[in-house]
Amino acid sequence: MSEVWIPLSRLAHGRSGDKGDLVNIGLIAHDPAWLPLLIDAVTPERLAEWFAGWTDGPFRVYPVPGVGGINCILHRILQGGGTVCHRLDAQGKALGQVVLRAMVPVNEKAARKLGVDLS
Amino acid sequence: MVLAPLHLLRQTELDYLTMDYLAEVTMSILHKQMIRDSNKGWATDLQVWLEAGGLSELRDKDVRLVTNAGGANPHACAKMVLALARTIDWWHCRVAIVDGDDMLALIGSLEEEGTGLSFDPAYEVDRVADAELTRDLLSANAYLGGGGVARALELGADIVITGRVADASLITGCMLHAAGWAGIAEAEGAAVAGPVHAWAPESVDSPLDVLAAWTVAGHLIECGAQVTGGNATDWATIEDLANVGYPVAEVGFDGSVVISKPENTGGVVNRRVVAEQLLYEIGDPSAYITPDAIIDITEVTLTEIGKDRVEMKGARGLAPTPWLKVSACRIDGWFAASELIVPGQDCLSRAQRMDEVLRARLEHLTELHIHTEYLGAGALSPPALRPPVELFEVVVRWAASSPRRGDIETFGMAIAPLVLTSPAGVSGMGARARPRQQLRFIPLLVKRGLIEQAVRVRTFQSRAGRLADRHNWIEDSMFSRLQRMSERRNEHRLRGRLAEGLLRRLVEPAEEEVRH
Repeated sequence: MSEVWIPLSRLAHGRSGDKGDLVNIGLIAHDPAWLPLLIDAVTPERLAEWFAGWTDGPFRVYPVPGVGGINCILHRILQGGGTVCHRLDAQGKALGQVVLRAMVPVNEKAARKLGVDLS
Repeated sequence: MVLAPLHLLRQTELDYLTMDYLAEVTMSILHKQMIRDSNKGWATDLQVWLEAGGLSELRDKDVRLVTNAGGANPHACAKMVLALARTIDWWHCRVAIVDGDDMLALIGSLEEEGTGLSFDPAYEVDRVADAELTRDLLSANAYLGGGGVARALELGADIVITGRVADASLITGCMLHAAGWAGIAEAEGAAVAGPVHAWAPESVDSPLDVLAAWTVAGHLIECGAQVTGGNATDWATIEDLANVGYPVAEVGFDGSVVISKPENTGGVVNRRVVAEQLLYEIGDPSAYITPDAIIDITEVTLTEIGKDRVEMKGARGLAPTPWLKVSACRIDGWFAASELIVPGQDCLSRAQRMDEVLRARLEHLTELHIHTEYLGAGALSPPALRPPVELFEVVVRWAASSPRRGDIETFGMAIAPLVLTSPAGVSGMGARARPRQQLRFIPLLVKRGLIEQAVRVRTFQSRAGRLADRHNWIEDSMFSRLQRMSERRNEHRLRGRLAEGLLRRLVEPAEEEVRH
């Protein structure tokens, strides 16, 4: 099975926000039919790779099939919370756009069938 | 620039205008303000737009305002509103306050009574609140549900000022009143703070689902223009954000919800932006915990049913948890941040060398913690997601914290000299950073019953309004006459002074007992 790597922004759009010491990144597939591809592309393991050095997690990914999306929760990523976080983006508001440029693997055959732009 | 609430009041027809002013730590900031000045501790932005014509718009268009701008001091906020009402001759204006969210006095006893839990969302494991966690708290406020708001509206409030009512519950409260649930609760003598699903009339099949829909409607509009095109991935195709329209939720007693915005405004309401806001700042989507119900949004569908109109369906509700969340804060040392900019070739290497120089100079401050970021070099991305880029310049940002204020002052003084004493071409960016106190946010859980007992709803009116309402013998015209007399007091000094005294006594805000 061949895989092709594409920017996550080809699959989904999204937004991030904070609550206490966690950040949530809500990602919605451009087409609800692509949700399985999105779920395969953004796993807790992949989030752990991306955010290594910023948090050891835990990372959770919850499907939201009604809108064809997933909700990613990144625990303990704000150094204790938005008010004590030393990073400029102390509330993780930027992380939604940050992950959209990450490269993710998709199953090429399935993606072509669903009409995902792989170029 | 027109203020957002004025925009909404002028551009569309509303029954209720709801405004959420409270982020997680706002309560602590407001609490600090109240300690310094007993008339403060509420969100002063409210006064800005009420003064700028908002209050008369509310009166003239018969729109009821529901807001948690009361923060740590709803009483002082209500006094401000009554005083403003007086300036526009709105004698009858009835202002309600909903409070009882302040848990600070109770926190100490929670541990021994087993009524409080510390709350670790990372592992969903809660433990009994311990003294270590709850020591030296500056503020502790429970997130109240919509019950208090509903009761306030039931009591005829034109304006409802609350403490820490949960953002979406402001809207739920309006619906509990509008749909008649609060009337039933009042008639049955139900506790004002809920659980509110028990208030539903028998004709409602699944009250929790209806509550869930109302709460989702509230969740969607609580961040204003974030559901009408603001903060959206599709920024490049969204038109006229300069005049972005603020959201309107059309909410049915049966739980139907349509999100829209006023005509002839910028931005967009479509499936994509509403979906982004639906997932904004939520946890487990199958169990989004609110004070009024646990909400399952996994099967929510969004349908575009017209231009800038999106229908939301499919929210499911479960009975609320036996706990309510309390956001507590304590002061946690001192903080300051400073930046310098490094231009030209090898800017990142030079910036890194400058950082080494600074750290070496401050090495003796063992409690000082410095975090360095290189803005422009991918600082907002975690290391694994930083692409290699060629930089034209880089901004170095240092954020420093310490339990000791003096450390932060020393840090602040060490920045400017770097321009003269570290690698070439460094340029300054603004004034020396001033130390500020850091607040640490501490989420706790408290047994619902404790809070339900504490919630109070009181309405206030100027004495003149009360007299007029009760006895129906004072005409508004009488007040205008008294006012004219007092304005002319130079001509008729004595009569004028008498009139002014009478006027002052009549319009002085006075408390009216709640009937329930």
